[in-house]
Amino acid sequence: MMRAQNLTKTFNPGTPIENRALRGLDLDIPTGQFVTVIGSNGAGKSTFLNAISGDLAVDQGSIHIDDNDVTRQNAWQRAGLVARVFQDPMAGTCEGLSIEENLSLAWQRGARRGLRRAVTPALREEFRARLSTLKLGLESRLSDRMGLLSGGQRQAVSLLMASLKPSRILLLDEHTAALDPRTAAFVLELTDQIVADGKLTTLMVTHSMRQALDHGDRTVMLHQGRVVLDVSGEERARLDVPHLLAMFEQTRGETLDDDALLLG
Amino acid sequence: MSFISLMGALEIGLIFALVALGVLISFRILNFPDLTADGSFPLGGAVAATLIAGGHDPWMATGVAMVAGAGAGFVTGWLNVRLNILQLLASILVMIALYSINLRIMGAPNVPLIGEPTVFAPFLPADGDAGYWIQPLVLAVIVVIAKLALDAYFASQSGLAMRATGANPRMARSQGISTDRAVLTGMAISNALIALGGALYVQTQGGSDISMGIGTIVVGLAAVIIGETLIPSRSLWVATLAAVIGAILYRLFIALALTADFIGLQAQDLNLITAVLVGFALVLPAFKARLRKTLGGIGK
Repeated sequence: MMRAQNLTKTFNPGTPIENRALRGLDLDIPTGQFVTVIGSNGAGKSTFLNAISGDLAVDQGSIHIDDNDVTRQNAWQRAGLVARVFQDPMAGTCEGLSIEENLSLAWQRGARRGLRRAVTPALREEFRARLSTLKLGLESRLSDRMGLLSGGQRQAVSLLMASLKPSRILLLDEHTAALDPRTAAFVLELTDQIVADGKLTTLMVTHSMRQALDHGDRTVMLHQGRVVLDVSGEERARLDVPHLLAMFEQTRGETLDDDALLLG
Repeated sequence: MSFISLMGALEIGLIFALVALGVLISFRILNFPDLTADGSFPLGGAVAATLIAGGHDPWMATGVAMVAGAGAGFVTGWLNVRLNILQLLASILVMIALYSINLRIMGAPNVPLIGEPTVFAPFLPADGDAGYWIQPLVLAVIVVIAKLALDAYFASQSGLAMRATGANPRMARSQGISTDRAVLTGMAISNALIALGGALYVQTQGGSDISMGIGTIVVGLAAVIIGETLIPSRSLWVATLAAVIGAILYRLFIALALTADFIGLQAQDLNLITAVLVGFALVLPAFKARLRKTLGGIGK
């Protein structure tokens, strides 16, 4: 369960470039729900995600994950509860470290790190088994540097890393945006599979209305730092991209001029 | 070059291998440009020399010197992660503060250690003969222990967290790594090693001097760069080995350049030789690549 209440965040307050990214955002996600988030550029999607992960401290409001008030915790303190896949395939992994070392870092997510060996033979077997589920042949390349992998492979490994240890919420930050369409489809399929297998509470930000409707159980639209649309169940099943667009325009009472929302 | 001067060069090379390992941690693993070395090397020397001259056990004195070095590194790291002072600037502040602190510790610009016991004393023959190869041997054992300990640490969970902190801090935090703590720990280990080098240096050179730290960081970096150029590798245990070899080769080059009479170089040319050597090591990889390309073109 994740509960965000009345989140506000203003960048550069009191200056000409003041940007009110979040303006009282409320969102409740029950355990096990897969929520997709859409919104135009500057709607506050990334700010919202960074607020949940702890990369960014909010000005007001509170964030609860299960019974934990994490509002004042920074990113590394919440990492035991929050798993994350970044948009940039380079951002979620260490390219200078080997695949098994990256997996080992994720294996200890949120746990104490001591002087025990980071990669043991038993752990290597575990990683090999997990990697083989990706069907990318990476299980035979455990000691290869992460930097040798393609963007899609790295993103697949990032997903695996995020699901290696249990989390209370999984954050996916436009994690297919930097990939070519075929690879993006593969990573999305993998996402569905991993989320379903682990019954993970998930928040996926996407630029594509198509993706937002095709994946997950509930779709939320952000605009000017607030939730302006929240559909699930029957209502969502009947929705198509043109409907969603129409609803958006109706809600905001204005015409949408952002092509980015239509893409995909 | 005589055997004795070769051993002398090896001795200083091994001491600077410890400095190089320290520099490898800050510059390469943590990605933290740290100039504290110019202060923490003489800090180690000052602490060790003062304690030994005061009648304390040389091993204990060397240990305390390492703790002092760790403290200096910790302060540099703290200025950066807690007060957000730019890395380079934080280390410069600590470096110049240490100049005063080192004078305070020694109570004079230098502390001689002539006739005092050193960590090498138990291994040296009583008549003072043949000592010139025993000191490098003891130093080699210390360097090998330091290198293996570092390799083991960086293969551990905590060591891996430190490497991730330097390589991708945002990712490290998202995996629950306190990057602040990793920087503080790494800076402490780095400068403890450099101070160990300083403590051993004064025990081989017969005393501590306030100006002994000048250029330490350049020599440490030179060693790391020469090592990387000669033995390029992504694996960490090779990188530590390369740093050690780089430090020894650097001192051998210097000794060779200074003792080869036909070149006409003298002791005061040391820094010039260093600059030329480091410059050469920096352009060597690009030069090798171009050479390979040219040769490949001929082959076609």
